[in-house]
Amino acid sequence: MEDYTKYKLKGTDELIPLLSDLDNIFVLACNKCFKEFETFDEPDCEKFVEFAKEQGKTVTGSLKVDFLCNKTQTLKKLQEAIPEGTENIFVISCGLGIQTIADACPLPVFAASNSLNYQGHHGMALTKKACDACAQCYLNITGGICPIVDCSKSLLNGQCGGAKNGKCEVDPNKDCAWEKIQQRLAAQGRLDELKNQPVQLRDYSKVNFKVINEYVKSVREARLDGYYGGVHPSEKKELAEHIPLVRFPEPDTVVIPLSQHAGAPANPIVAVGDTVAVGQKIGEIAGFISANVHSSVSGTVVAVEPRLHPTQGREVMSVVIKSDGKNTLHESVKPRKPLEELTPDEIVDLVNESGIVGMGGAGFPTYVKLKPGKPIDAVLLNGCECEPLLTADHRVLLEYADDVIYGLKAVMKAVAAPKGIIVIEDNKPDAIELMQAKVEGMEGIEVAVARTKYPQGAEKMLIKRVLGKQVPSGGLPADVGAVVCNVSTVKAISDAIKTGMPLIERVVTVTGEKIANPGNFIVKIGTSAKELIDYCGGIVGDYAEVKAGGPMMGFLLPDLNVPIIKGSNGLICIESDISTEVSCIKCGRCVDVCPMELKPLYFSKLADAEDWLGMKERNVMDCIECRSCEYICSSKIPLVSKIKAGKNAIRGMK
Amino acid sequence: MLITQLKDREIIESLICGKAFVINCHGCKEVFFDEKGANELQKELMEAGKLTGILTTDYICNPENMKLRLERYAKQIEEADTVLVFSCGVGVQTVSEYLADKRVCAACDTFALPGYQGVTPLEYDCDQCGECYLNLTGGICPITACSKSLVNGQCGGAKDGKCEVNHDMECGWERIQRRLAQVGRLDVLKKCPVQVRNYATYKDINKE
Repeated sequence: MEDYTKYKLKGTDELIPLLSDLDNIFVLACNKCFKEFETFDEPDCEKFVEFAKEQGKTVTGSLKVDFLCNKTQTLKKLQEAIPEGTENIFVISCGLGIQTIADACPLPVFAASNSLNYQGHHGMALTKKACDACAQCYLNITGGICPIVDCSKSLLNGQCGGAKNGKCEVDPNKDCAWEKIQQRLAAQGRLDELKNQPVQLRDYSKVNFKVINEYVKSVREARLDGYYGGVHPSEKKELAEHIPLVRFPEPDTVVIPLSQHAGAPANPIVAVGDTVAVGQKIGEIAGFISANVHSSVSGTVVAVEPRLHPTQGREVMSVVIKSDGKNTLHESVKPRKPLEELTPDEIVDLVNESGIVGMGGAGFPTYVKLKPGKPIDAVLLNGCECEPLLTADHRVLLEYADDVIYGLKAVMKAVAAPKGIIVIEDNKPDAIELMQAKVEGMEGIEVAVARTKYPQGAEKMLIKRVLGKQVPSGGLPADVGAVVCNVSTVKAISDAIKTGMPLIERVVTVTGEKIANPGNFIVKIGTSAKELIDYCGGIVGDYAEVKAGGPMMGFLLPDLNVPIIKGSNGLICIESDISTEVSCIKCGRCVDVCPMELKPLYFSKLADAEDWLGMKERNVMDCIECRSCEYICSSKIPLVSKIKAGKNAIRGMK
Repeated sequence: MLITQLKDREIIESLICGKAFVINCHGCKEVFFDEKGANELQKELMEAGKLTGILTTDYICNPENMKLRLERYAKQIEEADTVLVFSCGVGVQTVSEYLADKRVCAACDTFALPGYQGVTPLEYDCDQCGECYLNLTGGICPITACSKSLVNGQCGGAKDGKCEVNHDMECGWERIQRRLAQVGRLDVLKKCPVQVRNYATYKDINKE
């Protein structure tokens, strides 16, 4: 693998006079980028510190920083790093890192290194291919061989004539690029193109740094907008966002897992042969973090046995019910008191009784969230739906706007929050407009528009973006006075109050470029994913895979005979990925995008070495598994699997 | 990190010659890729029956994965007269090496971005000249901050602190002077010997 390390230490002949009248030195070293990730600590820092001491200098300290040019993270570290008594700072890095520090520090900053001089190696992977970024690509007339970098003279109109035996006259180790171009085009039968080509002129005018500067500035602002990191995967929401909700045909049989939530599975309270009605409780909450489970059909229990679970990837205890098609309502399903008359405790009890859990995917029991035990300033209603492709929440906002607002009011009342904020990403202008019109004049409720960026819908990101507050490491939203609920969740709360119907159905998007007819459906919990896929015309084309959830955090479904559960916001049929993991090249992208400001590249190394403590020290438990790092990884390393392995091992240590 | 802009539509259409297979690279999209423009154009080309297929992927400069992906689309590539690559020059060259017997064309121009070598979009430029001058200049790079890349002080052409080459740009050497004055190091500039720049190519420099 090529090594495009960016710097090397300056020679002693330069360093000795430089150091001569400087003392009390602090050394700041970049851990290098664009090289194979073999060692955690590059040796240059120690080498220079040693050298400075040999010169009789006092070194007040040293610090190695990953990706020194990552301004946001570097500045955070710098604040406390530089000890009293430091007079001069020496930086070991490429010119970018040195300039970053020189700009930020009031002390004199010196370079102890030179950037390595090579041009054109701009690819993310460490390949031998080079591009000079000339902005006038000639590859179309040269068969894909670059005359700018491959010809020593960067000639555009054919060979200079100086080559001998196919070798360049400037560098005899190098093939003549124009001979290669000629051969390639001859092999493709395209020599005429070359002959008929008009004379190529090159624009040698200077690069307009101003345009680039402004552009780069705008990119950086967009990247850091709201919170650090995040990514912008192709949204592809246009496949389904315009399709109105349709009630999915009555399933013949439903498989209802007793574990559709975070925490303990519910205890089954029905047996084979029992007759059940719609809304009847079939699983009893089994602990503080757990949830009740209800029947979504009327009919007969035909099995209570382990069945394959869509997101846990294993069999879990489930109640299988054969529908009688009559949809007989259970006697418990009846409207409750209006919201005005319900007490906060009654709302919490109703939410618990109705088996409502977070419907954004995580499935945390909602009633627990509604007992924060701390003063709450604001309820954030999460209508971001930042996962690409999915449009379920979008449709709920559009078609159940009043119910959503009613549910939000119920949550606000339950946690005594003076404020409710409906947060919607700017890729849903119709939902924003509708919600703004609906809440007009409502006291304490407002709509916040967030610039689209994944993983905006993650609680911690949402709170940072909207409230500007940082949930402490290991903490909960309530620690900063916030409660976050998904729009589908509050719609379920509204239903529970208005009709008394527990959580037995939800909105599911079936979409992706590999499904025949995408759509948004109201689906009963327990309906088979296969029935939904078949109903939508099945999978089209080759190399398709189905995921429960979105492309970023969704779960691969190798077997479609799994039920829709409370957290199933979508089924997506997309092209499978075929990439192999290659070595980490320290490109730094994962660090650039991690919204929790972690360094995923280390987790990969540490997990391979089973150094779980090392992972813990690097705050792996703060990872929200949003998969941004894996998405951006140029080496296709399955970072999240490695992180999960680390988290599991750490949990096991306790 | 490289960013790209789409070539003019007429040029892209003229490149196709028969039918084309499209490869989109989204690897550096977080920095820039005109995804919308590319999608719209490709949709129209597809509807006009000019495309045999589209492969949207990332980091096509990563040769191992590019190979796997190209194999999956072998048939559609075979059917095409041209492979049209929407990526930077590195990506186009990687593809054209794998498909050496195929007409591979670039649908983008690589944006001229000398100096942006960092891993994150940053306001600083480093030209990787190999002879860092930042010690003499208070950490402001005279190669990229001065239009003329002067290494021994200002040219004298600046007016009201603005560069004579580019009036929107501050004179790099005035910035350097201010920075050094601020940290009390102006004497460094006065005492330092005349700087001679090595204009040899990178290969000569890195030979040692």
